[in-house]
Amino acid sequence: MITKKILDIANLTKTYQKGSTGKIKAVDDVSLEVEQGQFLTILGPSGSGKTTLLNMIGGLDKPTKGTIILDGLDLSKLSADELVKVRRTKVGFVFQAFNLLPTFSALENVEAALAPTDMPKKERLERSKKLLGLVGLEQRADHLPAELSAGEQQRVAIARAFANKPKVLLLDEPTGNLDTRSGKEILEICHRTSKQQGQTVVAVTHAGYVRRYSDHILFMRDGKLFSQIPQEEFEEAT
Amino acid sequence: MNPITYALREIRRRKYRTAVNIAGFVIAISTLITLVMAARGWESCTAIPLNSIGTDIIFFYTAPIKPVGSGCYIVNHLFSYPFNQSMLTEIENVPEVEGAVPILMHRLRAMVFTGIDPSETETNAVLPSSIIEGRYLKPDDGYVAIIDKEYAVLNNLTLGSIVNYAADFEVVGIVDVSATNIMKSHIYVNLPIVQEVLPEKPVGLVNMALIRTDSPDKVKQTAAALEERWPDARTVTGSDLAETAVGVIQMNENTAWIISIALAVVTILFMIKSQLGNVAERTREIGILKAIGWSNGNVVNQIVTESLIQGVIGGVLGCTLGYIFASYVLSTIGGEIGGALKFVSVDPVLLTVGFGIALASGVAAGLLSSLRATRLVPVKAIRAA
Repeated sequence: MITKKILDIANLTKTYQKGSTGKIKAVDDVSLEVEQGQFLTILGPSGSGKTTLLNMIGGLDKPTKGTIILDGLDLSKLSADELVKVRRTKVGFVFQAFNLLPTFSALENVEAALAPTDMPKKERLERSKKLLGLVGLEQRADHLPAELSAGEQQRVAIARAFANKPKVLLLDEPTGNLDTRSGKEILEICHRTSKQQGQTVVAVTHAGYVRRYSDHILFMRDGKLFSQIPQEEFEEAT
Repeated sequence: MNPITYALREIRRRKYRTAVNIAGFVIAISTLITLVMAARGWESCTAIPLNSIGTDIIFFYTAPIKPVGSGCYIVNHLFSYPFNQSMLTEIENVPEVEGAVPILMHRLRAMVFTGIDPSETETNAVLPSSIIEGRYLKPDDGYVAIIDKEYAVLNNLTLGSIVNYAADFEVVGIVDVSATNIMKSHIYVNLPIVQEVLPEKPVGLVNMALIRTDSPDKVKQTAAALEERWPDARTVTGSDLAETAVGVIQMNENTAWIISIALAVVTILFMIKSQLGNVAERTREIGILKAIGWSNGNVVNQIVTESLIQGVIGGVLGCTLGYIFASYVLSTIGGEIGGALKFVSVDPVLLTVGFGIALASGVAAGLLSSLRATRLVPVKAIRAA
């Protein structure tokens, strides 16, 4: 089977300045290739650089060194405006804290991702409703985030992440604020939907049950990425 | 969701901040409207009391307070000396003086009795246009009078009734004299008759001259020339009269505009500070929007829309309150000189300017505060508490 490489990361480094002299390497010379439709999970302890890596893949942060080729685009060379387009069309984010807009209903939160596109309003609403149906929240479309459970809020966030038919779905601790049952539901939805639509998923999570959904699992520690995961490290990470 | 719906929700969500912002607009715009309209009203006030009797300057000699007895000569509540009527010819020779009309106004207790020359129909203590019943005086009239409407009503006087002031007069006309007319009297009679019947027998004497000038721009200059020529005499122009009558600090329109613009600038600065606070409060939200693909342009558009809506609400309320307040102020001022609410007229240009300033302030505050939003790095903004 011929597979397309959707993500090609080479020698990626992100350094933060700490104080006047100190520097912290959050991501240290990471190289990674991800094929289209793959469900990749990155495990690792807190502070290992997983979220920083995810943010750079999603164009939210710029690398200090190295390249990220996402669907043929070198993100490290793109301007801020071009990165906005990448976030709008190529990637969908799901955050641990859901990050829904508090004054928007579930439907409007999904539609917010489509608002800056050229899609007509009617079409936007139809697509948003369909996505909410996909995550089982059709009946809760008019509810504000505060009126939804944590699991439901995360499902809205997933629907929003899928709104623009992204090439890559980035899940940053998507189950971190959920109980096990809700967490599994969330991963199940992401897995099912991404497989149906041929989308790539890069997930950063502590959830041990992620094994069931992942095509590939990597381990990150001190900014470095490892393909082999020591059993004790896996247990510690999950 | 369109930016306006989103903006309205955010405005409702931040009720206190919105209320303070709108209050800022209301204060600035209503003050602008009030000050400018008050200044214009003032200018109108200064012109009307004398314009209503067709004169620019009143010329007279002030006299010391006289004990109440056989009556006195007055000019707008001031005691005055009579002077020779022939002086009017000399007054008419002063440059810029177009004409001088003789008046003899006498008061006994609360009654005011005025002698006029009825041939003067453009400038006089009472004009033919004031007649509401009967007729105006004729130059050859004898012991007949025209009387003020309020005096007639209070004393059940009608045409044909007899009124007495030093002599009996038959009422031939009733006048409705504006309350702002400082020459308002109870009884008006032909000047020679008044000179004949008053106890002092002031034949050939008058106590004031109503003077018309060639140009309204030269009123003050002409008044100064008259006082120079007759140093003991006093002249009163429209602005002098209004200042005395109204007793408020005069403010011209330019001053009103300067104060108003300064206030508008303060409002814009206040709005910018408030909107910056708004952006700071919404750092995380802005970060989320950017993360899901909103461009800086989208974010700026949203913040400006919110600020603009507050400007629109503040502008409408400010214009309305300003107009009401200006009307109230001017009617109060006018009340002291006899009701000046009619001096206030809706000025669409001023209201448009006031509203425009509110809109411009809203846009400026929105644009400047949104600069901060454009500088927010999404990944850091999302982490903000």
